Amino acid sequence: MYVVLIIVSLISVFPLYWMLIAATNKSVDVTRGKLLPGTAFMDNWKALFANSPVQEAMINSFKYAILLTICALVICSLAGYGFEIYYDKGKDAVFSILLMAMMVPFVATMIPLFRMFSDAKLLDTTLGFILPTISTPMIIMMFRQSARSFPHDIIEAARIDGLNEFQIFFRMFIPTMRSTYAAAMTITFMNAWNNYLWPKVIMLQDTSITMPMLVANLTEGYVTDYGVLMLAVLLCSLPTIIVFFVLQKSFAEGITGAVK
Amino acid sequence: MSQASEPKKKKMSLSKRQNLTGWAFLTPATLMIAVMSFWPMIQAFILSFQKGKGNNLRFAGIDNYVRMFGDKVFMTSLWNTFFYLIIQVPIMLILALILAQMLNNKSLRCKGLFRTAIFLPCATSLVSYAIIFRSLFGVDGFINSILIKFGILNTGYNFLGNAGSAKAVIIIALIWRWTGYNMVFYLSGLQNIEYSVYEAAKIDGANPLQTFFKITVPLLKPTILLTAIMSTNGTLQLFDESLNLTKGGPSNATITMSHYIYNVSFKYVPNFGYAAAMSFLIFILVAILAFIQMKVGDKRD
Amino acid sequence: MKKKLLGVLLCVAMSASMLAGCGGGNNKADNKQEAGDDANAGDDANAGDDANAGDDANAGDDANAGDDANAGGDENTLNVWCWDPKFNIYAMEEAGKMYQKDHPDFNLNVVETPWDDIQKKLTTAATGGALDTLPDIMLVQDNAFQKNVISFPEAFTDLTSSGVDFSQFGEAKTAYSVVDGKNYGVPFDNGAVVACYRTDFLEEAGFKVEDFTDITWDDYLEKGKVVLEKTGKPLLSCQSTESDVIMMMLQSCGASLFDEEGKPNMVGNESLKKVMETYQQLVETGVCKLVNSWDEYVQTLTTETVAGTVNGCWIMASIQSADDQSGKWALTNMPKLVGVEGATNYSNNGGSSWAVTSNCKNTELAFDFLKTTFAGSIELYENILPSSGALATYLPAGDSDVYGEPSEFYGGDAVFKKITEYAGQIPSNNTGVYYYEARDAIATAIQNVVGGSDIDTELEIAQSTVEGLMEQ
Repeated sequence: MYVVLIIVSLISVFPLYWMLIAATNKSVDVTRGKLLPGTAFMDNWKALFANSPVQEAMINSFKYAILLTICALVICSLAGYGFEIYYDKGKDAVFSILLMAMMVPFVATMIPLFRMFSDAKLLDTTLGFILPTISTPMIIMMFRQSARSFPHDIIEAARIDGLNEFQIFFRMFIPTMRSTYAAAMTITFMNAWNNYLWPKVIMLQDTSITMPMLVANLTEGYVTDYGVLMLAVLLCSLPTIIVFFVLQKSFAEGITGAVK
Repeated sequence: MSQASEPKKKKMSLSKRQNLTGWAFLTPATLMIAVMSFWPMIQAFILSFQKGKGNNLRFAGIDNYVRMFGDKVFMTSLWNTFFYLIIQVPIMLILALILAQMLNNKSLRCKGLFRTAIFLPCATSLVSYAIIFRSLFGVDGFINSILIKFGILNTGYNFLGNAGSAKAVIIIALIWRWTGYNMVFYLSGLQNIEYSVYEAAKIDGANPLQTFFKITVPLLKPTILLTAIMSTNGTLQLFDESLNLTKGGPSNATITMSHYIYNVSFKYVPNFGYAAAMSFLIFILVAILAFIQMKVGDKRD
Repeated sequence: MKKKLLGVLLCVAMSASMLAGCGGGNNKADNKQEAGDDANAGDDANAGDDANAGDDANAGDDANAGDDANAGGDENTLNVWCWDPKFNIYAMEEAGKMYQKDHPDFNLNVVETPWDDIQKKLTTAATGGALDTLPDIMLVQDNAFQKNVISFPEAFTDLTSSGVDFSQFGEAKTAYSVVDGKNYGVPFDNGAVVACYRTDFLEEAGFKVEDFTDITWDDYLEKGKVVLEKTGKPLLSCQSTESDVIMMMLQSCGASLFDEEGKPNMVGNESLKKVMETYQQLVETGVCKLVNSWDEYVQTLTTETVAGTVNGCWIMASIQSADDQSGKWALTNMPKLVGVEGATNYSNNGGSSWAVTSNCKNTELAFDFLKTTFAGSIELYENILPSSGALATYLPAGDSDVYGEPSEFYGGDAVFKKITEYAGQIPSNNTGVYYYEARDAIATAIQNVVGGSDIDTELEIAQSTVEGLMEQ
């Protein structure tokens, strides 16, 4: 089993290794396929920070991603819980309709959405970035599926104890479903961090740039400096990796059993 | 049920109240989806019955929908997309399940590291991963030099330059990138299965394969359903890999529907009516597939 | 309970503001105050939703952003979109500094926006009826110029009578941004085609760069075979999924994929057929090596896999990134086609021009700015050349001393002067509105031809594909 896992891990980690190596090399060495560490890391670092607003992009990306993740978790888990615990035909129908929302390619809805946001003066704003993706059928469905394993007798017991429905949600459901929250948080954070097409359309000022946009800017131009590019890509990938690393224990070694 | 009328009445109103509370729970999310997705969708739907260059649109009935079926590039892209779907989604989900099962083992060491390593690909920015895959599978790339070294090939094979192998590279890239992502859902789902069930199975002498099919798969069914719908949807809207790895080539052999829609919207003279019509075809296809998956996988007891 | 209520409130507030926004779609509020208010209102709602962290900072931010979006209203500021910090952004900023000397009140706000994004933003803004989100000036790829002006005429400003002297630019270059006889763009960077060769490899095969100057593709093929045999290096590499080489060859004889009325002209186009045959031969003999992507293409140059290349002169920057190859390269003109009327050794690939949008409030300022900088100052071009390599299409700049300086990388040759001379001799080319459609169709065709298919059949398919796409 270890052999399999080590092989799979190596294949998965290779690109990160490659990125690390590339970030320490001059552009021309990267294109030559050099796989050993180079000495140009500081030069790349200086060049990247001198020519691109890395700090601004980082702050923006974190701001957007954190706000979006918090809002999304609250709103989607409420809904997922609502759909499952108070299950009836009507809600099930609503849920099926909601599911359809994720099935239309974004390219098609982008222009009407842009118009809406432009009219509402939400271009270039944090709210403009996060609003379209706060409530997603996917995360709602995830919470709904996990609420299915939330024991009904706990709810009944809580009701007898005099807790109201929202207290049950906040005091019983959230702590019990920590693993689902951690997983949803990872996924939402990653999606928010990497969200690309939408900010590209609504962000009009340099000051609202995000990390993925910054990376894309580096690949434009007639010449690409691959060393600098890979350093930027590395910086852009790290937050998601760290978030995953921190949260993985929570969702992979959940505490459901303890509550039961 | 033969109780006095008073408590019964009270219970009725209680369940009614609970029902209302239920609606309150899902109202924010529902309203947001309505405004952020359905409203633009309706507008796009109206657009799909119009045609014209740029901004000068006029009503054209179902012309756009008819036109799709005569559009060779679109038909190729439709076929390509389904090809990816049929091959890639099952392999990826099974792999993710197996890996999740392995990593859920309590006695495994360095779990955190393995998990993070397997998750890494989907956190890796598309830019770097596209460059890496292109250089790996290039004519003078890493894969070719290994194949030549082991005497399997004499000269480098142009993986991305031939229709069949280019499709295969895209599928490999997709599996590589998204297996870890799906694994997250499974790992989190597995937490809802009590570990004692596995221990009991072990005592009963079940082998790992039996445990996998008799315990893991049935108990994870809701999560598998979720990932299946997600992956189906993701594959039918596949865009990044086609654009960045192969540019849809050689000769449109790897182009996907979303890539073509993107071209029609932004690369070519914009024709949003047609783009919207094609988008709605994707919508209908995903909806049908999701419906089938729900019917198969979501039987309530 | 509280959270739920606030959540509901948020949604109601949002939907209300959306609806209000949609209803007043035509009432574009130029009023800064209002924009700021809206942003604030939205943010307050957000604050309710448990996003307390950093909310104060946020509200301020958003209000600012609201203001910025309308910064175009400031009379002395020009907002500009372009994309390369070392190249066109640098050039634009230098131009701004220059203009500022005589106009102290003048402000320039350059926003780095990749071309793909400019295209997306332009399309969404024009289609979504939000032209007020556009900047004053934006850089537009020459190949996409006609498409955008014809699709969204309401987004551009006619520059014909702006005072810019368009005769100072190469004719072929200016033609990209002319629609119906009206000028919509001030030409900027040069895409004149150059052929670059590794002199050391040529020497090994017994050639000098002079043997590749003013030659035909037939000569090129024969000599290329010798080079391949003696050194093992192909003379040329190109991306198999793109049709750059085809388009360059085609323009070098003044031919196009469209006729004058804008109809696809592929079937029975002798020039095109000859081009495709030539390309096919180059690939078959191994003189041209096919790769799959741009980075692999650059790789063939930096790893010395090939002995030369033919491309727009901007490729020089990528070649020069391998500074250990300095002195080993030489530059000359491209080969010309045989047996085709109007064949020359000159062509164009890529390049871009400045467009003034219809959102520009102070057009007088924009016109004057462009007129005195990009369309009137040799000094500017001299200034930006050394550090950016931004080659002008402004012809008078070619005579300047800076352009005449020898380049060590290319064996002491005065390459910039040379390229500016080439630029003046390029036959103009009718890109047409459906350029990208045709280009992709030809790329598909040529891939099939290389794969063994018949040219005539493929051209017929390509033509019908383009006709299909043109049917609106």
